[in-house]
Amino acid sequence: MSLKVVVGIKWVPNTQAVRFDPKTGTLIREGVPSIVNPHDLDAVELALQLKERYGAKVTAISMAPPSAIKGLEHVIGMGIDDAILVSDRVFAGSDTLATSYVIAQTLKRIGDFDLALFGQETIDSSTAHIPAQVAGWLELPYMYYVDRVEEVDEKQRTVTVRRMLEDRLEWYQLKMPAILGVAMKSQKPRPVSIYNKLRVRMENPIQVWSNKELGLDPRCLGLKGSPTLVSKVTWTPEVPRKKQVIEGPPSEAVKKLVEKLCEEGVLPFEC
Amino acid sequence: METKFDVIVVGAGPAGASAAYTAAKRGLKVLLVERGRGAGSKQVFGGRVYAAPLREIYEGFDKEAPIHRWVRKERVSLVDGNRMVTVEYESDQAASFTTYLTQLTSWMVDRAVNAGAVFVDEVRVDSILRDGSGRVVGIDSGGERVYADIVIDAEGVNRLLLEKLGLVEKTRPSQVALGVKEVIKIGEDKINERFSVAPGEGVSWVLVGAVTGGMPGGAFIYTNKDTVSIGLVVYLETAVEMVEEPIHVMVEKLRTHPALGRLWADGDVMEYAARLTPESGYRYMPRKLAAHGLMVVGDAAGLLLNTGYTFRGVDYAALSGHMAGEAAVKALEQGDVGEENLRSLYEKPLLESFMVRDLRRHRGIEWFMSNPEFFKKYPALAAGVASKLFDLEGEAPTLLDALRSSAKEHGLSMFRLAMDMFRVVRKL
Ligand SMILES: Cc1cc2nc3c(=O)[nH]c(=O)nc-3n(C[C@H](O)[C@H](O)[C@H](O)COP(=O)(O)OP(=O)(O)OC[C@H]3O[C@@H](n4cnc5c(N)ncnc54)[C@H](O)[C@@H]3O)c2cc1C
Ligand SMILES: Cc1cc2nc3c(=O)[nH]c(=O)nc-3n(C[C@H](O)[C@H](O)[C@H](O)COP(=O)(O)OP(=O)(O)OC[C@H]3O[C@@H](n4cnc5c(N)ncnc54)[C@H](O)[C@@H]3O)c2cc1C
Repeated sequence: MSLKVVVGIKWVPNTQAVRFDPKTGTLIREGVPSIVNPHDLDAVELALQLKERYGAKVTAISMAPPSAIKGLEHVIGMGIDDAILVSDRVFAGSDTLATSYVIAQTLKRIGDFDLALFGQETIDSSTAHIPAQVAGWLELPYMYYVDRVEEVDEKQRTVTVRRMLEDRLEWYQLKMPAILGVAMKSQKPRPVSIYNKLRVRMENPIQVWSNKELGLDPRCLGLKGSPTLVSKVTWTPEVPRKKQVIEGPPSEAVKKLVEKLCEEGVLPFEC
Repeated sequence: METKFDVIVVGAGPAGASAAYTAAKRGLKVLLVERGRGAGSKQVFGGRVYAAPLREIYEGFDKEAPIHRWVRKERVSLVDGNRMVTVEYESDQAASFTTYLTQLTSWMVDRAVNAGAVFVDEVRVDSILRDGSGRVVGIDSGGERVYADIVIDAEGVNRLLLEKLGLVEKTRPSQVALGVKEVIKIGEDKINERFSVAPGEGVSWVLVGAVTGGMPGGAFIYTNKDTVSIGLVVYLETAVEMVEEPIHVMVEKLRTHPALGRLWADGDVMEYAARLTPESGYRYMPRKLAAHGLMVVGDAAGLLLNTGYTFRGVDYAALSGHMAGEAAVKALEQGDVGEENLRSLYEKPLLESFMVRDLRRHRGIEWFMSNPEFFKKYPALAAGVASKLFDLEGEAPTLLDALRSSAKEHGLSMFRLAMDMFRVVRKL
């Protein structure tokens, strides 16, 4: 039987397009297009490499509102085989504990997976809780900052991964099934291809599961299942920039620029 | 998996969506390919569309399409500094409506999909494929090929695919204009109040003169449901020579113009966008609009009419797409997608249509647009005359006196003035 890999995808507001409301201190999400969390694409790319190397079947999962179908279409366009959108009103308002619970239960229902890959963190919350908590719920081995899968031994049911830390590389062997957090920017995610996109239209590869399928206790879901309280949110005020244009030939302009920077005390040395 | 379609349409703008809709509705197997994310995501335009051609293509258009306001007021202003002279036309008829092009286009794409077309987004077509004898047989995207009997090129103004095929020359700055636009949210009631229009009715407003720093081109203001679109179009060739400030600064000036800014001062800028548009369609038309297995529609075919006071691009694009869709149906019925047949089924009726006739008739606008004088002197002249007539302190001059002395101030003789007026009337 071939390797089975699951990838977790979060559908996030494009934070580059999100603006802050200084009056209320909250994000203005209205009209902001959502995207696949960019760091999840590293996990998608790694999964697709496993597909190429081991013939793995790769399934994407996302807990999100129905609009996330677009994001799942995107990763199928990259080459993921199929996807499950886990979507239900009772999940709304979930903190990381409730979210990871739903994701863990989804994996349980999928059942026979060997590896579940997640991004390192998200651009809209960046707690990096989800993969660790999922591993916790399922009592499975977990490794994060993974930048390479060295080997999958399907007979011994082990996976050897490399992780890159600031000052060293480390190698670990984990028993499968295992949960991996993939280091952000560690891969070069491939572009969407036309035949993969055509598959989205012709083969209906996306299923939607609500809590009817999962049958989870509502007390563990949404706001009720979320012990986290957001006590305060502040924002970093924008520092006004001193826009200045220095005219003249480059050699002189650079001198003036260095002088200015010295005056402002920006340069780390005596001028 | 299926790898061959009857028709592949490249580009899901109004032209491509309408081509796909018509062809799919008539039972053809159609693939519509768009490089942007989602339908219409790459779209920028001013804000007003003429309805008649769209009604012809889409059943139930008036009821179902995302129409913001029907245009009941047309304004044209000549701007000189903080002064302006405005002409307003009001009517109980409305031939055009305001909308967001992204909404209108995704509505069209939805219709095409409901009619059976296959739509894929986020996919860029890299080239149109030809076989050994030069017949178009499909498309290439990232090395993957998809085949079709007919390819409809609806790639818009930036026609890299047609360039690759050698059907058009590289676009020159003199052929295109740059448009920039902001959308400002002020609320539905405030729009009704400040532009004195009834709910569902709106204003189309064109401004010429100081709003583009005297460069050939103009500014536009359109009222949407709860926002206004404001923006500028400047002609690249003259802009390159004359431009004194970045175009976003010009938009900023338009937004904060003393006479205009108060209409939306309390609003929020929701969106900023920029895009090229053909300067004048007629000169931008390719030598031929069809080849074996290929038809060219919309902006790519140079089908944009700019009369100085109005833009017709979206309706032309949709109608040409529709015509190409119908031609595809006929050509496949006849089993002949050769160049001659496609030219007689598509190009010939198109060249005889009101669209190309209008493009030809309005060619004079090119001359106008390459004459910066008009954009500097005449708005100033008009404002000067108005000021002499209305800003009275002592005696009141006659209209002719006001015109004469204002013309003198701007270094224009009455003879020159008369000649220019004559030419304008003749050219437009
Ligand atoms: C009180 C409270 C209420 C909240 N209510 C909402 C709400 O109503 N709606 C909402 O969207 N968020 C809500 N959140 C935020 C939400 O709980 C977190 O964003 C979510 O749990 C994921 O955490 P994260 O973004 O930090 O992901 P991280 O842990 O940083 O993500 C790591 C990786 O986990 C995977 N992953 C993360 N989320 C998902 C997912 N949903 N599906 C599949 N894979 C995933 C991705 O691979 C990702 O790269 C709420 C948070 C709190 C504290
Ligand atoms: C500032 C401005 C104001 C305007 N105002 C008005 C107005 O008020 N009223 C009006 O009627 N018209 C207006 N127009 C003109 C109008 O927008 C265009 O004429 C119209 O959009 C043309 O439609 P189209 O389908 O031919 O091309 P487009 O709308 O440009 O669509 C082309 C599509 O093809 C896609 N594409 C291109 N290349 C590829 C490729 N290789 N592979 C896949 N996809 C590709 C693009 O992403 C795009 O979605 C304005 C234009 C501008 C720039």
